[in-house]
Amino acid sequence: MVILALCGGLSAVGLNNRHKECIYVAFGSAAAFSACGIVVAVEVLSAGPLALSLPLSSDNGQISFGYSIMVDQLSAFFLLVICTLALPVSIYSFGYVKEYEGKYGLGRFGLLYNLFLLSMVLVVTAGNVVAFLIAWELMSLCSYFLVTFENRDTEKASAGMLYLVMTHLGSALIMSALLLIAFQANSFEFSAMKDVGQFMGVDVRNLAFILLLLGFGTKAGIVPLHIWLPKAHPAAPSNISALMSGVMIKTAIYMLIRTYFDFLGINGPEDAWLGLLFLLIASVTALVGVLYALVEKDYKRILAFSSIENIGIVLIAFGSALLFKAYGLNDLAALALIATLLHVFFHSLFKGLLFLGAGAILHATGTRNLERLGGLSRRMKVTSVLFFIGVLSVVAVPPFNGFVSEWLIFQSLLLSFTLNDVLVNLLVATALGMLALTGALAATCFVRFYGMAFLARPRSREAAVAKEVPRSMLLGMAVLAVLCLLTGLLSTNIIQVVDSVTTPFAGTSIAGRLTNGIVLETPVSSFSSMSPVLISLALLIALPLAYLFATRYGGVRAVRIGDTWDCGTPLNERNEYTPTGFAQPLKRVFRGFYRERTRTAVERGADPYLRRLTYETSIPELIDDFLYRPIVKIAVGLARKVGVIQTGSIQAYLAYIFVTLVLLLIIFR
Amino acid sequence: MINGLAALVLLGAFAAVSCSRMPALVRTFAFQSIALGALAACVAYFTDSPQIYVVAVLTIGLKGFVIPRMFSQIMNRIKVEKEVDPLLSIPSSLLVSGGLAVLAYYITEPLITHGEPITRNALALSLAVVLIGFFIMISRRKAITQVVGLLIMENGLFMAAISLTYGMPLIVELGIFFDVLVAVLIMGVFAFRINNTFDSLDTSFMRRLRD
Repeated sequence: MVILALCGGLSAVGLNNRHKECIYVAFGSAAAFSACGIVVAVEVLSAGPLALSLPLSSDNGQISFGYSIMVDQLSAFFLLVICTLALPVSIYSFGYVKEYEGKYGLGRFGLLYNLFLLSMVLVVTAGNVVAFLIAWELMSLCSYFLVTFENRDTEKASAGMLYLVMTHLGSALIMSALLLIAFQANSFEFSAMKDVGQFMGVDVRNLAFILLLLGFGTKAGIVPLHIWLPKAHPAAPSNISALMSGVMIKTAIYMLIRTYFDFLGINGPEDAWLGLLFLLIASVTALVGVLYALVEKDYKRILAFSSIENIGIVLIAFGSALLFKAYGLNDLAALALIATLLHVFFHSLFKGLLFLGAGAILHATGTRNLERLGGLSRRMKVTSVLFFIGVLSVVAVPPFNGFVSEWLIFQSLLLSFTLNDVLVNLLVATALGMLALTGALAATCFVRFYGMAFLARPRSREAAVAKEVPRSMLLGMAVLAVLCLLTGLLSTNIIQVVDSVTTPFAGTSIAGRLTNGIVLETPVSSFSSMSPVLISLALLIALPLAYLFATRYGGVRAVRIGDTWDCGTPLNERNEYTPTGFAQPLKRVFRGFYRERTRTAVERGADPYLRRLTYETSIPELIDDFLYRPIVKIAVGLARKVGVIQTGSIQAYLAYIFVTLVLLLIIFR
Repeated sequence: MINGLAALVLLGAFAAVSCSRMPALVRTFAFQSIALGALAACVAYFTDSPQIYVVAVLTIGLKGFVIPRMFSQIMNRIKVEKEVDPLLSIPSSLLVSGGLAVLAYYITEPLITHGEPITRNALALSLAVVLIGFFIMISRRKAITQVVGLLIMENGLFMAAISLTYGMPLIVELGIFFDVLVAVLIMGVFAFRINNTFDSLDTSFMRRLRD
């Protein structure tokens, strides 16, 4: 597998000047690589763990350094997630990257793409700290280069810079946390670090928890460490955005599960604060993400904010898993953990699909501004249908996959009433409310996105001349769309598999009780149940029935087709409902949060009529303004102060050294 | 004998501080290096170790003759003015150097009390030389004087090494000599470039490079 990716990448560089071959080789090998990955993952999930140690490992007596690969159930699951998304994305890329032909080096793109895939796979299969950190850094760097791939665009370059800074901040925290654990375990091997948490001091263990939360949280995009995400994801080429949003940020979830449940372990009620902390952060993340997604004009940024929201949802499930585990409710912990993993998987599918769809729109219209789209469903029929499936999944409409995972998350939160702690119950209920609000807002957000982009009439020339995208791109999206539906319908089967992944962490297997044939139930008997298959059957029957009923008993209405009454002025795109207008009511409701700035300017001519009326509105980025700006200001101020002693004169520098030396000599004589 | 030679080296450092013209400075450095070589030869005689003779010869040859010759060549090539251009006037520099020598004795006092009898004072003296060399680097403007200051520091270190440990292994010594030679070569090139760029060897012009 590794070799395949490297070959693909390197030969892509070799073929840099022959565009066509280059594309085929690079993305062909990437597709083959992902197919291999799927096979390996399925094998491990069904057969058992796989361990591999490269011969370059060496032993220095105390702690062995080396490079080892380990694929257990959890790794295999994430491997499956990565490769399932990577395969269609690679197919999609055949068509998508033609855009860059002649503008940017395709060989470079091919190499980075393959390396990026490889590094993500290595992250989830790394068997020790060294291997993990190398892969993690490789992943960060590859994605950085891919974000700044269109490097002649200053905005993209600065987005990349921000990403690089944030990701390295995170890496530093992760490294210190892992070293803390490794020194306790006296080994860098993940297998030796298992359950090492119970031997650690309380303070050290809590420190490790916090460091890991912040470190991986940066990558996952929790608020307020998310600021890089809405800049970097849209800046990357769309196929990369799909991979970054779909799977890269999920590698952080993988490591959180691995470190929290596998290494540090949740021991008892004294760890409950961790679950509550996660619930708090995650709810805020979900809500902030969706609120910004709602008012954003750049549609790739909408998707990026929606990724933040979904990471929030995943972490809500993860937090409740921690909480249940801390109170010893293993059944519920397993339920929440299954929900976590399922949402990770399903989100990667539908967010991948949505980003690919966004890429198709970008490819066809060349603009990222939602205000300039419209009417694309007539011009890009297939894309619009596929995109609609993605939208249905993301807003959790049954029987698509998003519904299943969100249902499970709601169930696990609702079941928290079995906990015997009033405060915790109240907090969980709050999280539940936030989650519900998030769901509703996400639905509004995607109605706005789909409606404004695909329906009505074009709002600009670019949208009016849009053409359907190449077949390979459609195929890539179609695969994902089918998967979105299938994984929703077959979720009972998938849960069986996921349960085998979570069993060692939650300490119990609940698949038998969770699935009853095609019906999903909660492990607490007869609390609630649902079946995606039955729901879809019901829909299949009910929809035609409703149609029939309506036409039969509603009576036949005379339909006359004519122009819309237009008050005598010609109707054009300026009379259309705009995305900004659509979001306006919600902006009013949440005005305390948005703190919108508006400016209206009236320009009068000589006649009594208005010459021009301009209305500007902008939404400040609260977290940037109130959290990061002051930090930056302080840092720059300090640097200025220190800069005073930087005179530029060699003698002065030497004098500093001299004075220090003499003082030290006198003090420590 | 050894103490006397070591004192001579320190005297050389003082003389270097008091020099107001470049050729004199270089000559003083040569004188100091020859004294140092003699010191090494003495140590070799008392400890009866032939390898230190080699070191002594190398010191006298390289630092006493080759490097000063290189300096005068560089100075001739770039037609530098002969003034040393001190930042601090020479009398006050001498005062500071005296203070540094006292400081060196003060610092090394706890060490000296249980040192080897032959080289008891050498540690304090060599530390004084190091500090004065450093001081020359700080208080003189021209690039070449700074190089000389560095070499004087190096002499001080060398003296400390040879008088405390009776010589490091020969290979280390050779390495150090080679190092110094190359350093002088490189700094000569740099001095040349600085002169070309700023029309002067005054390093305070390089302030403009900041930011």
